[in-house]
Amino acid sequence: MQMALIGVVFALILAIGLAVVRTFKVPVLNQLAMLFISFFRGTPLLVQLFLLYYGLPRVFPILINMDAFTASVIGLTLHFAAYKAESIRAAIMAVDKSQMEAALSTGMTSSQAMRRIILPQAARIATPSLMNYFIDMIKSTSLAFTLGVTEIMAKTQMEASSSFYFFESYLAVALIYWGVVLIFTQLQVHLERYLNKAY
Amino acid sequence: MIKVANLSKHFGDNVVLRQIDLDIKEGETTVIIGPSGTGKSTLLRCLNFLEHPTSATITIDDLVVDANSATKKQITALRKKTAFVFQNYALFANKTALENITEGLITVRGKSAVIAKQEAQAILKSIGLADKQDYYPSALSGGQQQRIGIARAMAAQSKVILFDEPTSALDPEWVGEVLGLMRQLAKQKQTMLIVTHEMQFAKEIADRVIFMDQGQIIEQGSADMIFNNPQDPRTRTFLQRVNQ
Repeated sequence: MQMALIGVVFALILAIGLAVVRTFKVPVLNQLAMLFISFFRGTPLLVQLFLLYYGLPRVFPILINMDAFTASVIGLTLHFAAYKAESIRAAIMAVDKSQMEAALSTGMTSSQAMRRIILPQAARIATPSLMNYFIDMIKSTSLAFTLGVTEIMAKTQMEASSSFYFFESYLAVALIYWGVVLIFTQLQVHLERYLNKAY
Repeated sequence: MIKVANLSKHFGDNVVLRQIDLDIKEGETTVIIGPSGTGKSTLLRCLNFLEHPTSATITIDDLVVDANSATKKQITALRKKTAFVFQNYALFANKTALENITEGLITVRGKSAVIAKQEAQAILKSIGLADKQDYYPSALSGGQQQRIGIARAMAAQSKVILFDEPTSALDPEWVGEVLGLMRQLAKQKQTMLIVTHEMQFAKEIADRVIFMDQGQIIEQGSADMIFNNPQDPRTRTFLQRVNQ
């Protein structure tokens, strides 16, 4: 849970950065962003986590002290930032072109226009798909147990194998995930209502 | 006051504007007329650098901008001196009527929120929309939206307001109130450059009329001269067609 919450914040920040770089086609950074997005969308999260936690420290010994929790957060962040960047970019493009022109015509710089006019409107458009990724992210935290993080999935497995209540244990963990996601779905409804109220 | 020299705009091989020269005096209302696809709107957009001219020297007061060497800073400075009114209003959808006006004052001109609000409210009052200050654009009629669009341009206290077919997207019932506001501005000697298809309005409001065809200025003069005694056959043909 904590993993998902930290991850979602960093992923969002990174994704907005990537989306803006892609929208303005900033030279060099744009190509790097495309490569980044292509790689993290093109490979399984599990592979990315293993690569990050077991693979990279072999090449860069400085990473050897990275604990499994940190590695999981970083992996989830990078993976979901790639997805979110594309849906934010789509949302930015969905904002009418005249909004940018109107902002520029008053003498705003493009970054002022982005911050004050375009991104707030893109946020409303992007919210449903961003919430989707957030839910996906909550569930994907279960993969962290493959790195040895004793999160809820790991605890369940230990519980199940010592008590032999496999069905009950895994059903319980499924219900917990479901419940958490339901709570966030409710939050999403309220968030969308709030964003739509204004205009 | 405003001097445009040798303005050309190419889109690839397509030459939209050919070496336009234009002088606008302070307090003057200039109306540009001409057939569709002639480059009237593009000319206006070039003056605000919404389109980057292929070549041009634009002078407003002591600011000289050359299209080939224009820096971002120069372009911003030019935009501060030229307010733009859009055909589709282009109000900021996420801002209220009041915020649409204060936004530029605060972000671009660095005014305090309090002062910006006072100025915006004064303008809204002068155009009869004081009671709509907290409405979002989507809750306003087309005519009201365009008047807010004009109010946004007025607030900027630019040297010139550029109007790009301000009534073309409006339902007929709202055209009158927008034209009325523009008349009010003309009376106050606000410098304006207007692209429009409202010929009656052009005749009545213009200190000077410019007729454009195929990316060039064909002729210009007083409204009386252009409408009642056009010299160029192309102007005559155009006016005949619109008067039919």
